[in-house]
Amino acid sequence: MRTAFSKEKWKYLLYTLSHPMDGFYWIRHQERGSVPLALLLVILFSFSFSANRLLSGFVVNDVDARTVNSALELLSVLILFLLLCVSNWSITCLMNGEGRLKDIAIALGYGTVPVTIGMILATILSQVVADNEQAFYALILGVGIAYGLILMMIGIMQVHNYTLGKTLLTVFLTMVAFLIIVFLILLLVNLLGMVYNFFRSVYTELIFRT
Amino acid sequence: MKRKAFVKCITGIVLGLMTAVTSMPLSAGASGLPYQSYNYNYWEDIVYTPAPYEPDYVVSGLALTWNGEPIGNFVSPQDLCVADDGTIYLADTGNNRIVILDASARQVKGMITSFEHDGAEDTFNQPYGVAISEKNQIYVADSQNHRVVVLNQDGTLARIVDNPTSEVLEDGYVFVPLKVTVDYADRIYCIAQNMFEGIMVFETGGQFTGFFGTINVEITLWERFWRKIASKEERAKSQLFIPTEFTGIDVDPDGFVYASNIDPAGEQGVRRLNPKGEDVIRKGSVGKLAGDLQIAGSTDYAGPSQFTDVVYRKNGIYSCIDRRRGRIFTYDHEGNLLYIFGGIGTQDGTFQLPVAIENVGGDVVVLDATKASITYFKETEYGRLINNAVGLRYDGDETEAVKLWQKVLLLDENNELANTGIGKAYLTAGDYPQAMKYLKLGMSRDYYSVAFRRFRNDYLTGHASGYLTALMVLIAAGIVVSRLKKAGILQTRTKKKSPAK
Repeated sequence: MRTAFSKEKWKYLLYTLSHPMDGFYWIRHQERGSVPLALLLVILFSFSFSANRLLSGFVVNDVDARTVNSALELLSVLILFLLLCVSNWSITCLMNGEGRLKDIAIALGYGTVPVTIGMILATILSQVVADNEQAFYALILGVGIAYGLILMMIGIMQVHNYTLGKTLLTVFLTMVAFLIIVFLILLLVNLLGMVYNFFRSVYTELIFRT
Repeated sequence: MKRKAFVKCITGIVLGLMTAVTSMPLSAGASGLPYQSYNYNYWEDIVYTPAPYEPDYVVSGLALTWNGEPIGNFVSPQDLCVADDGTIYLADTGNNRIVILDASARQVKGMITSFEHDGAEDTFNQPYGVAISEKNQIYVADSQNHRVVVLNQDGTLARIVDNPTSEVLEDGYVFVPLKVTVDYADRIYCIAQNMFEGIMVFETGGQFTGFFGTINVEITLWERFWRKIASKEERAKSQLFIPTEFTGIDVDPDGFVYASNIDPAGEQGVRRLNPKGEDVIRKGSVGKLAGDLQIAGSTDYAGPSQFTDVVYRKNGIYSCIDRRRGRIFTYDHEGNLLYIFGGIGTQDGTFQLPVAIENVGGDVVVLDATKASITYFKETEYGRLINNAVGLRYDGDETEAVKLWQKVLLLDENNELANTGIGKAYLTAGDYPQAMKYLKLGMSRDYYSVAFRRFRNDYLTGHASGYLTALMVLIAAGIVVSRLKKAGILQTRTKKKSPAK
């Protein structure tokens, strides 16, 4: 077992980006990927997202800089990542998916790389574009996001050894599972709050009775 | 005992001082005005500004006399209008009379309670609106007599406009005119009660010619969907989709009609109608002309502003009065909000039920139906600077306007219009870095973009030779180095790195 950030892992990341079909297949079957590396990539994606909102040029940037909170955005991106991994895992477990949780995490994490690169490039380009050249900025962002989504899709497909149709179906079901998980968490938090309030009121009652 | 009294005295003084300090209002009270003046910035956040107008004085009927007799308080006055010479005509609705006042509203110049009609004396019944034409004829919307009465300056009857007949009107239609105005050709524009079709237009002769400026009802797809699946009973119970009625009208010198209406959606509360009756108003960068932008909440005080009247002032500037929160919103001809002032209250300078707004000289005059009083607002330094700067820009004299905008910035450094105005002037002058700085502060993305492109192209053309030379030198150096390597004169590091074991 090589270390998580070894040279081979980085090289294999590049190979996966250019050959997603093969790349993701051998990630599942030969341990060529790395979960810590995938997490690092997700964190980098979050930073590039915040940087794009905060630093892109005035011509293309319609974000109120006071509303950008990179720490909060990092947290939400990580939570989103975790929830997506778990919901996909819980669906694919029931649908004969071969992938383990770590493979799903790697597939989604590696898939963010084009988006990160697109955001950084677009942010740099936005410093020099003016009025009617905004299309180039949108194009770079759009290509990055589109390629990222395709990568994630192929990653899910190869890791679980699915057909395309089944992948699309599981992606849809993943979204449903995602909503159910969010709903359950909210429900749990709400109920726990009620329990807490109950004991709290018992406590205050006891305090004031004596 | 003495000591105790002393301590008591000291604590009393300290407490008194503390209450005096803490009860001092923070921002609005410091200026002594009963309202806060503010504006909305690009992000639609509230930005407090210096007061553009401050209350000057308030006139009620109790202070006025005519022929040595007190005229008594106004009763629910609903409209006022101003002639070119500054004479004010007030529709004292509850007293069934028209009161004529001088420009300061402190002197009564005349009173019309009756007029001669077909040899008999005739009176008004709830005169709701009043207007004055260029020929100085007085137009009175005599609402409960269902007619518009036109009087000459000496109080004699010129003509009566009533019983509009047309195919488009329902049989048995009862004409109840509320507000009235006249253009240069003596066409009458009349807002009538329960007339949702638009403003009624009467030709010079007095015959009804049609409707003007109809507000179309927009039904969203969602509402259509619900109506489709609703049962007949439910549909009958749900509210009807009827357009809103107009509330106030004014005509500008070019013959365009400004009309206010109450928009429950909070999108557009004022229209500028061309002679064909089409709305040609410009809505600014926000895309709305509806007064307050932050209207969330469920109290009576929340919700969209309700414009009850509009006045065209000059240089494309017009003001609307909001009934809900008593605020006066002033826009320029591009639809940018210039400033907001006024409020609901009982102090002088605030209103209970503002119904009409007019422009007398440079003053803004508001008529309050519940308080039965007229409030005069005079412009401050801040208001004067903005009015004049907008006026200069309207006339196309942007360079002259810059001087005023710079003064505005001294009073209100976040004023986006001022920053944009200065930035545009720098843009025309060719000073692109300065233009970019001010246009960015003014959040004017389009003009910033133009300035930035010119700045960038200037920079590139100015520095092109330097960069190209540097590029050539680099390429030449690369070629030389590779040739030398080939020839073996220059040894690379990797070759050196072979230490003996």
